[in-house]
Amino acid sequence: MLKVVAACGNGMGTSQIIKMKISNVFKRLSVQADVHHMSVGEAKSQASNFDVVFCSESLMSQFKGGARTKIIGLKNLLSEQEIEDKIKAAGIV
Amino acid sequence: MVLVIWKGLFANIMAEPAIFIGLIVLIGYALLRKPWYDCFSGFIKATVGFFIMQAGAGGLVNSFRPIMVGLKDRFELQAAVIDPYFGFNAVNAAFAQMGWTTSLIMVALLVAFVWNIILVALHRITKIRTLFITGHIMVQQATTGLWLIFIGVPFMQNNIYGVVACGLLVGTYWAVFSNLTVESTQELTGNAGFAVGHQQMLGVWITDKVAGKIGNKEKSVEHLELPGFLQIFNDNVVATSTLMLFFFGAILVVLGPEYLAKNKFFNPASGELFIKYIFKTTIQFAVYLYILSAGVRMFVAEMTESFKGISDKILKGSLPAIDCAAVYGFDAAGGNSILFGFLFGAIGQFVAVIALIAFHSPVLIIPGFVPVFFDNATLGVFANKKGGFRGLAIICFCSGLIQVFGGAFAAGAFGLAAYGGWHGNFDWDTLWPGIGWLIQNFGSLAIALAIIVMLIIPQLQYRRNKKGYFAAANPDMEPELSTNPA
Repeated sequence: MLKVVAACGNGMGTSQIIKMKISNVFKRLSVQADVHHMSVGEAKSQASNFDVVFCSESLMSQFKGGARTKIIGLKNLLSEQEIEDKIKAAGIV
Repeated sequence: MVLVIWKGLFANIMAEPAIFIGLIVLIGYALLRKPWYDCFSGFIKATVGFFIMQAGAGGLVNSFRPIMVGLKDRFELQAAVIDPYFGFNAVNAAFAQMGWTTSLIMVALLVAFVWNIILVALHRITKIRTLFITGHIMVQQATTGLWLIFIGVPFMQNNIYGVVACGLLVGTYWAVFSNLTVESTQELTGNAGFAVGHQQMLGVWITDKVAGKIGNKEKSVEHLELPGFLQIFNDNVVATSTLMLFFFGAILVVLGPEYLAKNKFFNPASGELFIKYIFKTTIQFAVYLYILSAGVRMFVAEMTESFKGISDKILKGSLPAIDCAAVYGFDAAGGNSILFGFLFGAIGQFVAVIALIAFHSPVLIIPGFVPVFFDNATLGVFANKKGGFRGLAIICFCSGLIQVFGGAFAAGAFGLAAYGGWHGNFDWDTLWPGIGWLIQNFGSLAIALAIIVMLIIPQLQYRRNKKGYFAAANPDMEPELSTNPA
């Protein structure tokens, strides 16, 4: 089971949208994923507990990737195509 | 018999917003044919989330007391934080005091959402292309809208007439003003397929029209070096704590240790230092705001999923109007416009707060994090695109001024300064104080008028650009194409 978090400034609107989109993509790729959403502040402290952190490109610099954690920055949060491409490029599936 | 059932229904469900919102989610999930365990967990999470939010709200009210009491007592001043959560909190406290039913807010929200769906479904007539789906914003706006109507129109007070009027008014605002951001957002994002559905939609439209005239887009923000410490404001916990420490700390210092000790807020006899008291008291705002937002996040996540699922089934091809932060990824300056927008907005707000003090305003405004950051960052991204650094600086500085002055007017005029908060985002410091003022003076007539005037806006937009109007949102929406393919 992949542990995934979507993060945005306040952890409300944008991350919720990203979460719905990534859930769709993972479902389509038949990947079991547990997707959460939260604010950047929280996600920063918890990033190491997740396999993937999704956020807007402008917030990528807030995160440090790790041995376990991959950081994926999105330009268009509504584009499932972009999410899928970036998941594949990062070698997650 | 019927009356008994109704009374029971009212006391146990309708008057209990947490359970009510849980049931709305449950019904939504059931309509989407989700398995029963998903329906159940949706119901539980929406209800628990709402109760968590109320716990945070209660804590905020308590932390506020020394400051509210002190300012009133010593300076005959009222203080309002301009922030949608503080505004939401203030309305809820006011509702409780008036003995009004807070669940009505959720009914109003539902009416507004359904009305927005209808306006989109009838897009050939209404020219509305967007559906507003930013859940937490919908909760806040329905709340403030209902307050304005309840206090302004006696026959609509605390009853279903007021709720329906609020639903139509707020739903029209969602549809019309998110529709107004379609062109500028699609241009900014290279047709990413969404519009802004947030709290500064009028601001986005004005920025898009004005930025090019006052600035130069060739001189973009990206050529500027940014101090690294500004990065901490991307973290809402740090940002809120810092703002509150600064502003509330200043107020506590002015009130002074003697006064606070005399009123038993501060206890020097226990050996507590005043500076520690200030730090602990102000940091509590961040604590309760965090709890409150965690609750909002939990129940709104379920609500949005339920709403989104239903609207996807009914409406095909409409454009979703979503959180303003979705445009941040499209900043031509790689995120610098966001921080510069925040910076200039903050400077504008500080200048305006000093002006309020200097001119002895009866309402003191305390900048909240959400309007100063999210509004100005959003306007900054749009301003930089059309007007470069100069456009951004001027627009965000002015926006900061407007937020504080508009907020001070609204908090005072609509009686919420007494409860310590006002909605405070750009549209709620410009458009809505205007609508609110009209409602206070002309009652239900003003509500009808506001709805009609708003509905004319998309007609004017359509008239200016008949050909590309629907294609700008979504090619599937072009009525000419779908009705006569020739």
